[in-house]
Amino acid sequence: MQALLTITLFVAPEWVRNLTGEKLPNVFWAEYVVWPLVQIIVVLFIILTLVAYLVYVERKVSAFMQARLGPMRVGPWGLLQPAADGLKLLLKEDIIPIKADKAIFQLAPIISVAAALVVLAVIPWGAAWATIANVNIGLLFILAVSSVGVLGLVLAGWSSNSKYSLLGALRSSAQMVSYEIGMGLSIIGALMFARTLSMNGIIEAQRADGIWYFLFQPLGFLVYIISALGETNRAPFDLPEAESELVAGYHTEYSGFRWALFFMAEYTAMIVTSAIAVTLFLGGWSFPGLDLIKDPNIYVIASVLVFAAKVMALIYAYMWFRWTWPRYRYDQLMELGWKWMIPAGLVNIVLTGILYVLAMPKSRGGFFDFMHEVNGRLTPTGAGKVFFIVTGFLITIPVSWAILAYINRHSPDFNLDEQRQLQIALRRERLKKIEAQSPAESN
Amino acid sequence: MTVTSVPGRRRTFTNAIKRLLLIDLFKGLAVTFKYNLRALYEKREGGNPNQAIYTEQYPLEPARVSERFRGAPRLNLDPETGGTLCIACDLCALACPVDCITVNSTRREVRDGEKVNKKKVLTTFFFDTSRCMFCNLCSEACPTDCLELTQSFELAVYHRSGFRWDREMLEKGVKYVKYNK
Ligand code: SF4
Ligand code: SF4
Repeated sequence: MQALLTITLFVAPEWVRNLTGEKLPNVFWAEYVVWPLVQIIVVLFIILTLVAYLVYVERKVSAFMQARLGPMRVGPWGLLQPAADGLKLLLKEDIIPIKADKAIFQLAPIISVAAALVVLAVIPWGAAWATIANVNIGLLFILAVSSVGVLGLVLAGWSSNSKYSLLGALRSSAQMVSYEIGMGLSIIGALMFARTLSMNGIIEAQRADGIWYFLFQPLGFLVYIISALGETNRAPFDLPEAESELVAGYHTEYSGFRWALFFMAEYTAMIVTSAIAVTLFLGGWSFPGLDLIKDPNIYVIASVLVFAAKVMALIYAYMWFRWTWPRYRYDQLMELGWKWMIPAGLVNIVLTGILYVLAMPKSRGGFFDFMHEVNGRLTPTGAGKVFFIVTGFLITIPVSWAILAYINRHSPDFNLDEQRQLQIALRRERLKKIEAQSPAESN
Repeated sequence: MTVTSVPGRRRTFTNAIKRLLLIDLFKGLAVTFKYNLRALYEKREGGNPNQAIYTEQYPLEPARVSERFRGAPRLNLDPETGGTLCIACDLCALACPVDCITVNSTRREVRDGEKVNKKKVLTTFFFDTSRCMFCNLCSEACPTDCLELTQSFELAVYHRSGFRWDREMLEKGVKYVKYNK
């Protein structure tokens, strides 16, 4: 027993040793092997359970919005439904179509789910020890790895050897690639204020500035949320799995547990994109008044809860959108992505840059002196905060809207209504011509 | 003259503002959110259209049927004497378009005080629920309000013979389900 305890403490991380007062430092094993493994297991367990229950929550939310009850029969209020679903999926027959490309067919869901799960490593779930890896290019890592997920979908669609899967995969890859650009552009504005790519660093920057960046970056936040919806294939952009047109999209031919992997990837991607939004724009795990907690461990737990609450609020919004809005048509989706989201992201970068330079201290070539240096970091003063918030809402949004409206005003448009009206008008012309001719013929 | 383009819908200022601020989308969100909230705090009452949740949990609680619903048949008893109201007149069997009622009777002497009447008395009564289309014609034909179609709709049985209801079943009714609520 004593030996076990010694070994445990030998590889325990610093905060545990602080707690027990033991001094048995073996930094390498503690900080780089054992403790990350413990974190990984805990995070994976929580996230996978969460994913199962998100499906339950989604079903309940959709039911409530449609005057139904949702799952009610398995356990009290249907709370054991995820377990029943999981069991069912495990026991289902695993079907691989005869003409499918077997190796790729089996690989695709694994790529999808792995790309979604790897990202969890750098998400700052809370303060101090609640993050698995505090990489200094965390955000870049997330964007890079999560876009590999598209590969899984494309391969799934291709290897299934089915027209529905292929069309679904084509749509989804086109959509994800286009919305990824808008997403990447929309976060740059917030990064200008944070001046770091480390996920924890971004949160610390917001704590230091004493503000959540969605107030500085309303347009960036908007573009990010819309692009994230498109990127995760959620309604109103859920074209890849449009049931009414494509049966089930890229995973039509998948069954049983392989299908469950795709499902898991989708919901994990939902959690990840919400977590990025929370980190970048909603202050991450920080909350006004959280610093009053003195005990470091309770502080960490409280910060994790705050982060979870914010992520959950965003996910509820996702579900809310899904069960309210109808699906976009494909050309509308692409138009929104390329003609509005990407230019809006660019305009936002330019305007934010100009405003940022204007607000810099005079000694650094600025104009308004709205920023000062604290601990070697430029931080907006009180007036600077007001300046950025007001300009964010009153200048960035109207100006970029005006620019986009001007650009898009005369761009050719796939307008169904106009085309139909055109056909009607043409027909009317023809009828008039015939009427004009017929009296001459009868005479 | 060739038509190259037609003016679309008229662009008024209010329409432009509505489109810009996505007013309609937010209206939709408000509606669904209201339903979601009401589902959380309102007391549930299955089948009530004014409630946020309409669902009836049927096997757990009795399902609502309309007041004019015509379901399982019943032979009513005289509430005073407890004897059947049926006078074996056979009118219901004659009224039925699909011939699913069979009334059998005998003539018997019945003592009524001092007098002794010779009277038709019901012996057996069969009702085939598998052929019945619940048109209510038999019930309307009945002169004594004896035969009646009730609100009960649970008529499923495991074997075809179960569709043939005899007099006892018709008088007592069939009880299949126990509700938990
Ligand atoms: S309800 Fe109609 S079909 Fe059924 S027994 Fe009566 S008359 Fe016949
Ligand atoms: S019509 Fe009424 S009284 Fe006459 S046989 Fe039928 S059930 Fe009896």
